[in-house]
Amino acid sequence: MFNAEKFIEKTVSSLKKEIKGKALIAFSGGVDSAVAAALAEKAIGDQLVAAHVDTGYMRKGESENVKKMMEKLGLNFRFIDASNDYYDSLKNVEDPEKKRKIIGRKFIQIFEKVAGEENVEYLVQGTIAPDWIESGDGLRDTIKSHHNVGGLPENMKLKLVEPLRDLYKDEVRKVARLLGLHISERQPFPGPGLAIRIIGAATKERTEIVREACDIVEKEIEDAVKKGKMEEPWQYFAVLIPVKTVGVHGDKRAYGYTIAIRAVQSIDAMTCSYSDISHSVLDNISTKLTNKLGDKINRIVYDITNKPPGTIEWE
Amino acid sequence: MTMVRIYVVDNGGQWTHREWRTLRDLDVDTKIVPNTTPFKEIYAEGVDGLVLSGGAPRMGLQKELGNCREYLEKADFPILGICAGHQFIAQFFGGEAKPSKIPEFGKIELTLVKEDKALFKGVPKKSIVWESHNDEVTILPKDFEVLGKSENCEIQAMHHKEKPFYGLQFHPEVEHTEYGELIFKNFIEICEKKS
Repeated sequence: MFNAEKFIEKTVSSLKKEIKGKALIAFSGGVDSAVAAALAEKAIGDQLVAAHVDTGYMRKGESENVKKMMEKLGLNFRFIDASNDYYDSLKNVEDPEKKRKIIGRKFIQIFEKVAGEENVEYLVQGTIAPDWIESGDGLRDTIKSHHNVGGLPENMKLKLVEPLRDLYKDEVRKVARLLGLHISERQPFPGPGLAIRIIGAATKERTEIVREACDIVEKEIEDAVKKGKMEEPWQYFAVLIPVKTVGVHGDKRAYGYTIAIRAVQSIDAMTCSYSDISHSVLDNISTKLTNKLGDKINRIVYDITNKPPGTIEWE
Repeated sequence: MTMVRIYVVDNGGQWTHREWRTLRDLDVDTKIVPNTTPFKEIYAEGVDGLVLSGGAPRMGLQKELGNCREYLEKADFPILGICAGHQFIAQFFGGEAKPSKIPEFGKIELTLVKEDKALFKGVPKKSIVWESHNDEVTILPKDFEVLGKSENCEIQAMHHKEKPFYGLQFHPEVEHTEYGELIFKNFIEICEKKS
């Protein structure tokens, strides 16, 4: 059985040997990067520099919260707002693999710049098993290029350190609990963020819509869980489908986008089944979404696909 | 008591690492080895059993699957083939595997067609398994017996009548397969008895 205590002990001691000098941790604020940061901090202390990039594709209020978290953890950190740069580079990009690769490459460019300024040689990442498995290799098909694997340039200057490579999310959570990290139970959020929850071009305008929609879906589902109306899903969010349909809003024709609600049960993201949400809960979400997003949205669907054949995220 | 040693042969499956994890969680001494590893290297490490992982579409239909042929020729220990591994076992023993008329993905009902007190010990006649296959075994090799089927696939599980070789089209290693862990426990028991 996976033993979190032993894992921490072994990893901290091997990180001490592996990292000679300063290291940069790519800190998204999720469970994986927070655990990787905490372990690296134990190993090399103030030789660790955390960097958080606001890509513009973060959830509502997320980057602000990450800033607070890095302060609370006492990390030496850099906060980089690159949102306009990201929106620009993804302006006309529709292909999901291209999106993922551009985002991954941009991350590395930013980290390399910070590393140069801070005189750092090592890059610590919270890469976990599904990231490299699904990104493919000589033997394995590429299902999707995870930003922290598929976006890496061939001749990267930084030396990569990935202490969580063999772990799945449920194991990372065990380590997080033992480390006393308050974000241990946070739902997963992909590195490319909301950009892959928008089918087609991830423009700023569409991002604002899906950001609001994700916020509503999260709040409504969390509320229903609290009231005992449903089991807590493993992951739950909204996807913007740029397919316009006709509606009627207050005796007036409307013509707006579609939102898909996605909620799944899983333990490790390698398989999932869609969540059994009651119609009354779905009804509440639907009403909130259409009322709040006004003429931008007028149709809501619920995704009932398992993995396989689908994946959890749509892109 | 020494730990039972079962290695996972990596044929490039999405769930190869999950097979490793399931074995490790059941306290097996395990590691993932490339399918190009020579048999004598594996044998020298004193393994008690092998799992042949799945792989990308059509992998199990090839003439060779890394060194899997050599493992099947020389092994005196149990072997469990999953998906592409299962298809390759069928071909090796003179059966046939082909692209599925109806590929299966995700949730499927498995029906056991024969009572089996080894790999399926304690597994009910009908259970939920998770699938992800484009190909399947279409002709059962001589010396093999079918243990399980699904609506669209007649050979979901098979075993050799004399040797401890098993093939499964579905994936016992993933969380959503209802009795997956039990099937692994049973395979571990089979390996323990043999060693």
